[in-house]
Amino acid sequence: MLTKRQNLVEVMKGGNPDRFVKQYECFNMIMNTPITRKKPPIGGEIVNEWGVTTRWPEGQIGAFPVHDEEHTVVKDITKWRDVVKAPNIKFPAEAWAEAKASAAAVDRTEQYCTVFVAPGLFEHVHYLMSMEEALMAFYEEPEAMHELIEYLTDWEIELAKEFITHIKPDALFHHDDWGSQINSFLSPSMFEEFFLEPYKRIYGFYKENGVELVVHHSDSYAANLVPYMIDMGIDIWQGVMKTNNIPELIKKYGEKITFMGGLHSGEIDFPGWTQDIIATEVEKACTEYGKLYYIPGSSQGLAISSFPGVYEATDEEIEKMSKKMF
Amino acid sequence: MSKLQDVKLNVEKGKTKLVAGLVQEALDEGNAAKDILQAMVDSMGVVGDKFSSGEIFVPEMLIAAKAMAKGVDVLRPHLAGEGSVSLGTCIIGTVAGDLHDIGKNLVSMMIESAGFDMVDIGVDVPAQKFVDTIKENENVKLVACSALLTTTMPALKEAVATIKGSGLEGFKVMVGGAPITAEFAAEIGADGFAPDAGSAAVKAKELAQA
Repeated sequence: MLTKRQNLVEVMKGGNPDRFVKQYECFNMIMNTPITRKKPPIGGEIVNEWGVTTRWPEGQIGAFPVHDEEHTVVKDITKWRDVVKAPNIKFPAEAWAEAKASAAAVDRTEQYCTVFVAPGLFEHVHYLMSMEEALMAFYEEPEAMHELIEYLTDWEIELAKEFITHIKPDALFHHDDWGSQINSFLSPSMFEEFFLEPYKRIYGFYKENGVELVVHHSDSYAANLVPYMIDMGIDIWQGVMKTNNIPELIKKYGEKITFMGGLHSGEIDFPGWTQDIIATEVEKACTEYGKLYYIPGSSQGLAISSFPGVYEATDEEIEKMSKKMF
Repeated sequence: MSKLQDVKLNVEKGKTKLVAGLVQEALDEGNAAKDILQAMVDSMGVVGDKFSSGEIFVPEMLIAAKAMAKGVDVLRPHLAGEGSVSLGTCIIGTVAGDLHDIGKNLVSMMIESAGFDMVDIGVDVPAQKFVDTIKENENVKLVACSALLTTTMPALKEAVATIKGSGLEGFKVMVGGAPITAEFAAEIGADGFAPDAGSAAVKAKELAQA
């Protein structure tokens, strides 16, 4: 039997996996670093390292940045330099002790020692200035947007240096939602203009420094961006939704990128979920998308579920499909 | 090219810095404010169709709506004298328990561009608040309710039932949001459904003029 890690490699290279990869089983995420980004607790509010006020109201399945007049950080994109200040990410070795211990405990024959980065460049920009203002600024103030993105990219590379120095990860799990369920937020040409080179720099840096695998989360439609994903060095697109025509993507790009997802959180992870619903969805996904270049899993951006039991139930059903199909 | 055509084209292209001047020039040439407004509404119709078909993306739609808003600012004092050109008032909000506002804001912008006066009551709106807002506003022709999560679909159902059960009349109720389908909309008694912001504007007009 292959190790989890060997099995993933077989899936990705179109070789001979001996079972389906179960969601995030190959990734041991090191979350206890001093530079892992802050998130508000459920029911709470924080001002994050960049000054963005973020709330996680009770009963919601995620946190939201607050963009009213009082809280928006960048009110005038042409003056972003006056208000955007990169947080300190240099911490003494002692502050890394816990994370180093977690990293040392990872059995790297089974799992990838994985660092987690969120939000990515696109999300970061709209966290700072609101989605609507950010999207219009790509047209109205492109130079300022390029400058701000370059500043954030430089900072992400500094962040990468810290992770690499202290933890020596062999995988990166990086979030940046690039679309809605039905389309990418930006046109492919605008995406290319603003984000291709910055991401090539970031992902290239990780790969030049020992990171074998770049996993990018965007739980959205983004089929039109897959050529750029490949170009920027993404190995696995996590969060691929059914609106993307996954079989066609696998056929066209599978040898260059693996697709992880195909199960919509909204359809399996809700208060009234049942094992049967999950079984049906998992069977559909595994049958339709197949054994190679595909990892079945929820579109959720971490190894968790919003409602207790869903993640484990999904794993169970994937295991059943492995027994049927391998 | 006629000045009206010029206005139309530049709204469609989202030329936010040019449209106000072009609208002024169109007025100076003697075009009626209502006709200029209609030209801009028509261009937003084109923008909405292109968005629905995937030809353009959210930034292009936003920037076109912003360009139109700049034109409307120039027209506003002139429109007052020409009688109402509004299709009526549209109340819009995201239902209780749901804090998503981006999709709702896009829909609001597009419905406004189609010629409605918008009353945006925000996110996490209790069902009764929709009813109270209908009572507080005149000429309400449309109520648009949004839900972005499968977990808030029951709240959407409750909002539609509360609005419909309020005994108030003279308006239609439309719904939308990522998990919402035409079937679900029909099942909960909504009068209309739109899958995206572009078609929401078309559906809004259709419902208000029915």
